Amino acid sequence: MTRSFRWAWLLLVLVGVVAVLPAQQSDAQRARTAAFRAKAVPFEPGFRVFLVPDMEGMGSTVDSREVLAGNEGAAYRDRSSPDYWERYRGLLTEEVNATIAGARSAGAASFVVNEGHGGNLFANVLPWDLDTAAILVRGFPKPLVMTTGIDSTFGTLMFTGAHANAGSAGVMAHTYAFDRFTVNGMVLNEVGINALIAGEMGVSVSLVSGDDVLIAETREMLGDGFVGIVTKRAVGRAAAITYSPAKVRAMLREGAAEAVRRERAGQIPPFTLQKPYRVELTMRRSYPQEMIDGVAALSEFSLERTGDRTFVLVTDSAREMGYLLDAIESVVIR
Amino acid sequence: MRGLLSAALLLPVVLPGQVARDTTPPDRVFGVTEWQLARQKLEAEMTPDGFTVYIIADMEGLAGAVRNATEMRPEYRGGEPAHERFREELTDEVNAVIAGARAGGATQFVVNDGHGGTLFRNVLPDRLDPEALLIRGYPKPIVMSTGLNPMVDGLMIVGAHANAGSPGIIAHNFAFDSFTVNGVALNEAGIAAFIGGEMGVPFLLASGDDVLTAETAAMLGPIETVTVKTAFSGSAAAVLPPARVHRMLHDAAERAVRRARAGELKPLTFAAPYRVRLCLRRGYARDEWVRTTVGTFGGMTPDGAEGCFAMTTSSAEAVGNVLNEIEWTVLKP
Repeated sequence: MTRSFRWAWLLLVLVGVVAVLPAQQSDAQRARTAAFRAKAVPFEPGFRVFLVPDMEGMGSTVDSREVLAGNEGAAYRDRSSPDYWERYRGLLTEEVNATIAGARSAGAASFVVNEGHGGNLFANVLPWDLDTAAILVRGFPKPLVMTTGIDSTFGTLMFTGAHANAGSAGVMAHTYAFDRFTVNGMVLNEVGINALIAGEMGVSVSLVSGDDVLIAETREMLGDGFVGIVTKRAVGRAAAITYSPAKVRAMLREGAAEAVRRERAGQIPPFTLQKPYRVELTMRRSYPQEMIDGVAALSEFSLERTGDRTFVLVTDSAREMGYLLDAIESVVIR
Repeated sequence: MRGLLSAALLLPVVLPGQVARDTTPPDRVFGVTEWQLARQKLEAEMTPDGFTVYIIADMEGLAGAVRNATEMRPEYRGGEPAHERFREELTDEVNAVIAGARAGGATQFVVNDGHGGTLFRNVLPDRLDPEALLIRGYPKPIVMSTGLNPMVDGLMIVGAHANAGSPGIIAHNFAFDSFTVNGVALNEAGIAAFIGGEMGVPFLLASGDDVLTAETAAMLGPIETVTVKTAFSGSAAAVLPPARVHRMLHDAAERAVRRARAGELKPLTFAAPYRVRLCLRRGYARDEWVRTTVGTFGGMTPDGAEGCFAMTTSSAEAVGNVLNEIEWTVLKP
């Protein structure tokens, strides 16, 4: 979920020519959405790892131009550096492969990789260079965004290359389309939000890699159970002390092995919060009014508007919260 | 012109009034003799002995493919470098099918490039199995069934996409929102099966996303299918590793040829005369010139909603020719 903080630019360009998402879906659209949500990733036996790679927190990246393909919309054409992105998607794929190799060495047998990064519209990992055992979820839109395809058959959830929360001092820090996202009053970053969705299915987070800010804030949310890997130390929003990619890969290999060992020993409880969840989200300051109205018009969800840019969803289902995230993504990406 | 062709080919986009129309009647480009000649020429290249597989190579249903705008067309027509990698994947998947079919007893291979992204020039000739005949380029008679003839023993489609209106990856069906024969909806694989079926050629194998394989099996019966990905939207999917897909294609093609040789797979047939009903894509249907032109084709009569036509004929190849004329009409600026 990289480009959220740039979507405002896109919208400024597009407003007036592109209508926001229609408030009412047709019956056919609803049926189609329901069919997509009901689907599962093909089942495989053995210990299953669900891996969500993002790019802002991977080894070496510091600048959004390194994680954008330039094709995400007219506004990005000059705000990216495709030559750099091409290089980093190779490194991204190698990070994922290292993580899989580590998990495999500790007994994991099935791997699903769900693109967590919006560059190239969620198509950054190189399918032909990816570990040949891995099923890859790529493209956009997809029902649960970063946890699309996860279910209770998975033994663990891992995040690589994650970034720190919106408003924090991390490299390329943001949270989906929000300035602030809380559940029951607790501030959650993207890892925390998806940990809650997975937690409801009994799946816990065993590995998180990213900059030092991300790891510290995620500890506050999820506790000490997961293996945290600091890939870089933020010294600015677009600057960091970084390690060699080879060193980062070695850390991921070892960390993923340790993560699987902890999971198999039952040492990491799933992340859960009290139901019903009170989800409060504040859309980014930078977004134009049309976009806020687009969110307000999402009739599928019982959203209560509690401020100019703030909405509340009360629900017993973290999955529903995930569907809401997808719906909001579809509003702001248009 | 090329850019417009590209857009029209891959998306329901019509840009009327920008360039003067080429009003050459389609039958001057695709007369009856054209497709019969193509058939004769292919027959002349084939040996009557052995087992011949005719493979239609499309791209939307390839392992890994999810996005039309970037992956399905070359840079010079608005796509991205990723398309080049998918051409390799396309060729590798076709090669896997050929190798599997050969292991099952097939002896002759015809590959028809069926994807418009590079104007039907997507398969990489120097990477393709050297024994295969490759039909490439556009325009060509009956698009995806060029030269199809009774000497072919089985039809296969690789990288196919689901039918127009279905919840599959980059789902569409030639220039149509719907296409039925005697009331049965057919996707692109189904239309090829209909044309081949009349000649006694059975359809053996289809690969693509979960929506494509399910709908094609429902249309054509117990053919071999290879599901290479699970669609999570029209442009997102859980994709199997390409290397695994190649093994699956190999094994399915081998099984398909064995089953065909054992007489297990039957041609798709309909009771003649065929009543064909088609509705142009909404964008095309709104274009008066396209609508009017299609209405002039032999046997076509307006049927129901704007842009919907029906024809009754006893020749599936003639239907294929009309389909080709329609394709040519909508692709013209």
